[in-house]
Amino acid sequence: MSYYKKLKKDLLGATAAGIITPEQADKVWERSYSGRTFASFKAVHWIAAASGLFIALGVILVAAHNWDKIGDIAKMGAFLLLFAGAAEAAMRLEEKPAAAIPLETLWFFMPALGIGLYAQIFNLSGDPVKPYLAWAALSVPLALLSKRPLASYLCSILFFAVLYWGTLGSTNMLSLTLGRNGTLQPLWHWGLALAVLAAGFALYPGEKLGKPLGAAVIWLFFMLVADTAIKVRSEALVLLAGMSLAVLWLSWGRGEEEGARAGLPLTVWLGAVYAMTFFWHYRPDTYHLHGQNNTPLGTLITWAAFAGALITLAVRKQRLLPEGKTEDHLAKGLLAASMLCAFLLFDANEGSAKIMAVLANLILAAFGAGCMISGSRNSDEKLINRGVLVITLTAVTRFIDLFGGLLKSGVAFIITGLAFAGLAYLVNRGRKALIEAAKK
Amino acid sequence: MSKLRIALGLQLLFFIAWGGWLLSSKNTPSPEFYLETVPVDPRDLLSGTFVALTYGISSPQSGACPAVMNSNPKFFVKLEDRGKVADTPDGAAAVYEATDCSKAPANEPGWVSATLQPGFPRPGARYGIERFYLNENDPRKAARSGSVIAKVKIDRRRQLVLLDLVKKTQP
Repeated sequence: MSYYKKLKKDLLGATAAGIITPEQADKVWERSYSGRTFASFKAVHWIAAASGLFIALGVILVAAHNWDKIGDIAKMGAFLLLFAGAAEAAMRLEEKPAAAIPLETLWFFMPALGIGLYAQIFNLSGDPVKPYLAWAALSVPLALLSKRPLASYLCSILFFAVLYWGTLGSTNMLSLTLGRNGTLQPLWHWGLALAVLAAGFALYPGEKLGKPLGAAVIWLFFMLVADTAIKVRSEALVLLAGMSLAVLWLSWGRGEEEGARAGLPLTVWLGAVYAMTFFWHYRPDTYHLHGQNNTPLGTLITWAAFAGALITLAVRKQRLLPEGKTEDHLAKGLLAASMLCAFLLFDANEGSAKIMAVLANLILAAFGAGCMISGSRNSDEKLINRGVLVITLTAVTRFIDLFGGLLKSGVAFIITGLAFAGLAYLVNRGRKALIEAAKK
Repeated sequence: MSKLRIALGLQLLFFIAWGGWLLSSKNTPSPEFYLETVPVDPRDLLSGTFVALTYGISSPQSGACPAVMNSNPKFFVKLEDRGKVADTPDGAAAVYEATDCSKAPANEPGWVSATLQPGFPRPGARYGIERFYLNENDPRKAARSGSVIAKVKIDRRRQLVLLDLVKKTQP
């Protein structure tokens, strides 16, 4: 059932139950329904859009059939006219979103069409990244000046896509991975890559830092583990860098305002801790990357990320677990512990790796329990569910991972089930006690 | 005039200037000559129909080329007529070959700029003429190795401009 059908049904139900009046139900329905996507699109608009699409496709196909007969200047002129027409129409119809949004999208893509057209006319080839960088650079003014955030989103995504694609390659103007014969890429590649990163960051609209920061820290992590001038190769430094960057993203990727949800950064941090639990099977000789050393710059960046994450924990309020001083201390403790675990991998042996795996399991268990207790205190069902999910996933993984046999796994499942039942009982009692205390 | 119109004007100006520059490169008053080419991977759905080309001059081995290519990401290659000929519908055409490389070009015609293309077993030279776009009904899109030659010229910035892909005829 669609959202609007369900809303209509709920409003009718509320009216029938006497909770709201029919007038209020109508007003709520009107307000919600008029705000839907393509709300201002009437049937005639859809027919007009279909007609425009068919005519455009027909013109394109006829032009394609006669492509060789059309002169170079005519092709370029037609493109420039189309470009100017689409942009002018987008500006004139700015107040009509149904027309302005598709036109502005078309405007954003026009430079790419132009670059492709010129490449065809003049048989251009060369660096594969250059046309995309040129497109992004040409679109920056539109992204900055448009009243809608659409062009900014598209331009920022384009910059980040080019950053990932270019820097992970080894034969283009953004390449940062070593060439085939192990040669370092020129320094200006790093300058250009950082400029592209900054542009992607700056153009991302709104106050929300989470997504661009996430894209940036994941890119930095890729640069540390790939064969670049800042690579790190020891397992301890890779883990330390990964955990520190995850903590930085989690801490800075959302505001400190009340009720801010962690979302993707929290999932990534949990995933990283979860991955650490598999170090139970670590064998030092299996994972060692022979003949490859940490680069000084990579080592420096890793330690800087670690120091930055520690300072962040000290000065910035955490929302790993919402509300309360105890939760804040627990969250900070868990985040710090997740990073400090990496130290067990320096000169690691099987024993220290097993300790790390146990600590990772404990971090997950503490986080899960913290979510459940905090959730029950604040009547936050989502938080309780998250805690149950983390503990269940950890427990199921461990049973399969460690016990293996049906009998042992079965007994372990029963014990965990009983533990959950006990925890649920305690949580419920605590909640009731809090409610009673509040009533008094 | 609104700021958005100024932005649009700048975008259009870029394409007008670039188009003008490309047209002037194509019409540079310099001699046209031919290059032996090896068509590979003749189609790309995203870019349309084109023939991807590598050339005999893509792996220059004469003169100082191996040493120059070993230490320079950008360099210059000397193209010369050494008597190699190919038969075309318009008669016999001289096919130029790479005879030398240099970090800086000598002040004489025939030097073209190239960038290093990493490759195995040895790096190659890339000239920016490695794609030839054509109509989907053009029979040259199925060109096989050694069956076509590329008609090119050198523009004012010592860059090769690809003008045409010519089918060789049987002598």
